[in-house]
Amino acid sequence: MAGGRRETGLKRAHFVEPRVAAMLLLPQLAILVLFFFIPSIRALAQAFLLADPFGTVVQFVWFDNFRSLLASADYRDSVWTTIWFTLAQNALTLAVAAVLAFATDRVVRLRSAYKMILLLPYAIAPAIAGILWAFLFNPAVGPLAHMLRMAGIAWNPNLVAGDALLLVTLAASWKHICYDYIFLVAALLAMPQSLLEAAAVDGAGPLRRFFLIALPMIGPTVFFLVVMNFVYGFFETFAIIDAVTRGGPAGATNILVYKVYQDGFVNLDLGSSAAQSVILMISAFALTLLQFRYVERKVNYDV
Amino acid sequence: MGMNRRTLMLGTLLAGLAAGAAAPAAAQRVEIQWWHAMGGVLGERVEELVKGFNDAQQKYTVVAVNKGNYDEVINGTIAAYRAKRQPHLVQIYERGFMTMLLSDAIVPVHALMKEKGYTVDWNDFIKPVASFYTYKGNLMTMPFNSSTPILWFNKDQFAKAGFDKPAETWQELEKQLYAIKAKGAAECGTALANDYFWSLIENYSAINDQPFATRANGFDGLDTEFVYNKTSVVQQVTRLKKWLDDGVLQLAGTGFSPQQLFATGKCATYISSTADHGAMERNATVPWSATFLPHEQGVTARNSTIGGATIWVLKGHKPEEYDAVAAFFAHLASPKVQVWWHKVTGYVPLTNAAYKVAKDEGYYVQNPTREIAVLQLSRGTPTANSMGFRFGNFTQTTFALRQEMEAVMTGKKTPQQALDDSVRRGNEILRQFEKLNAGKY
Repeated sequence: MAGGRRETGLKRAHFVEPRVAAMLLLPQLAILVLFFFIPSIRALAQAFLLADPFGTVVQFVWFDNFRSLLASADYRDSVWTTIWFTLAQNALTLAVAAVLAFATDRVVRLRSAYKMILLLPYAIAPAIAGILWAFLFNPAVGPLAHMLRMAGIAWNPNLVAGDALLLVTLAASWKHICYDYIFLVAALLAMPQSLLEAAAVDGAGPLRRFFLIALPMIGPTVFFLVVMNFVYGFFETFAIIDAVTRGGPAGATNILVYKVYQDGFVNLDLGSSAAQSVILMISAFALTLLQFRYVERKVNYDV
Repeated sequence: MGMNRRTLMLGTLLAGLAAGAAAPAAAQRVEIQWWHAMGGVLGERVEELVKGFNDAQQKYTVVAVNKGNYDEVINGTIAAYRAKRQPHLVQIYERGFMTMLLSDAIVPVHALMKEKGYTVDWNDFIKPVASFYTYKGNLMTMPFNSSTPILWFNKDQFAKAGFDKPAETWQELEKQLYAIKAKGAAECGTALANDYFWSLIENYSAINDQPFATRANGFDGLDTEFVYNKTSVVQQVTRLKKWLDDGVLQLAGTGFSPQQLFATGKCATYISSTADHGAMERNATVPWSATFLPHEQGVTARNSTIGGATIWVLKGHKPEEYDAVAAFFAHLASPKVQVWWHKVTGYVPLTNAAYKVAKDEGYYVQNPTREIAVLQLSRGTPTANSMGFRFGNFTQTTFALRQEMEAVMTGKKTPQQALDDSVRRGNEILRQFEKLNAGKY
């Protein structure tokens, strides 16, 4: 080796031949530039413009698009809906995935069969999952809605804002539980069994073993999943919203990313839509930074 | 796409080799692209229409491509235009009229036909269809699929409750629907269609001669302002909310089509487009018929207005390709094609000549419900309130109206509150369009 240095560890790993490194980076960078940087910069530019969809008339309007957004009650409602939706979705997804992961970790017979079944929803396209949920819980024809009514529960996501929000939260969580589940199963597998066995010998039940031993040990994974769940809730739940409620009733499930689509691609208000996506991007960025700064400190990586 | 085209070319080549002498003529055909939004059975009809044109002559080939729903087609068109890869023809819904008109991306159809030497009797176009798309006396876009809402009803359920047919006024119809539910003839009186804002608010305003907006519903200028919060629309929305609360009106919600609520016999009536004829004939398991939309008591009912889409010609292509466009339009407007289109889809015929052909054939004697739309559209003399609607950013203002209507249905707002808010939001959107397009209309 040229320098003769033999340090180990991530920080010391480097390529001697910079051209190889550049070539290896190129595909990833090209994708980022094409699908992230160029669209982001164009969105940023569009956010300061008032333009007709064909781009024939373009007026520079400074912060008008942002100003009218912040002044609109509709937009503020959408912000709150997004906050509730992502928090509930995050908590539900993690909780169910954790229980399932811990449970399959203890199952001896047919473990891989259970795992297969639990992973299935991830293979279903979001739009199809959404239509499935919308149909099952449709108050007029859905079998599950019928069962709810039989049980004396007045269920009507077409007219009750809370029901609609609950329905999309359930659908979005259901779709994402598998993702969290895979990571948690892997994390549990990587955990030294001796610790759990020792606790079991000392008489700790499954619940205590989970909360006092397993959970702290899989902290980094949980933290990672929290971040990913937020990203999912912010950006990837679009198809589910579109299929289940179309943002309704009366905007009750109109989360920010759906509003970006609705205003930009249906209403053709490109300036406002661009301004919204800029705000959304900045807040997702800020949220991730905050999480890394404050939450990550409490995560213990030294397992 | 590339794959498809290659397969197509290979196919053409093989066909050409087989046909021998026919090959050179086929190779010189001028090809034009038409993006449309007709899926399912309607999509098949479009294919038939295009095939009919391609087979009838040797010079031109129209290639019809389904680009998704109306929203997706207008979006795809805008993206394509900005990338200078636009098709020659594009089907755009009526709500996109102002966006297209002022886009500077289009060739007006009247000018194109004149330039290409076709004499079209524009006056023979059915009035409410033509007037909707006429600007400064000239037709700007080629009317294609035009419809208007009508009232579908279940004959058995009306008979069971002791009625011949639906009443003509909303007040009487309300009594009938309540009776039908009370007597158990049907579970619900009517199902709310997804485009209710079009049938129950906009067309309601036209039929009852109520102004929807100032400046002749936008026909006279971009400074138009919505006023439907001060008309009997308030009464209409209040009535619908009452029906909803009493279970007389049912929503289908997402994941299910409201038409099914009627077609399976759950609801006794359904107000939707006459273009649903095809679907009713295929899907309905109940004895159905249809009639005119109701009107308010003591009001002389006016004409209803149209919905649907037109075919816009886009700029930026070669002269011989516009020859193909003009030839295709001439074919499309011919009475023979119009009568066929009217019969297989339920859309209204575009010209009086086509309507007359169908009538003389006795088509309406056998299919009386097929005539309702034409009769309702051409009833009386259109007033400033019933000519149609011409608003910039119309999709966006409609979205605001729908959201506020949902606020009424969910009980979040009273009808008056919601309509006030809808008008306020709509006017802000109109002002934005006015600011952007000042001096262009």
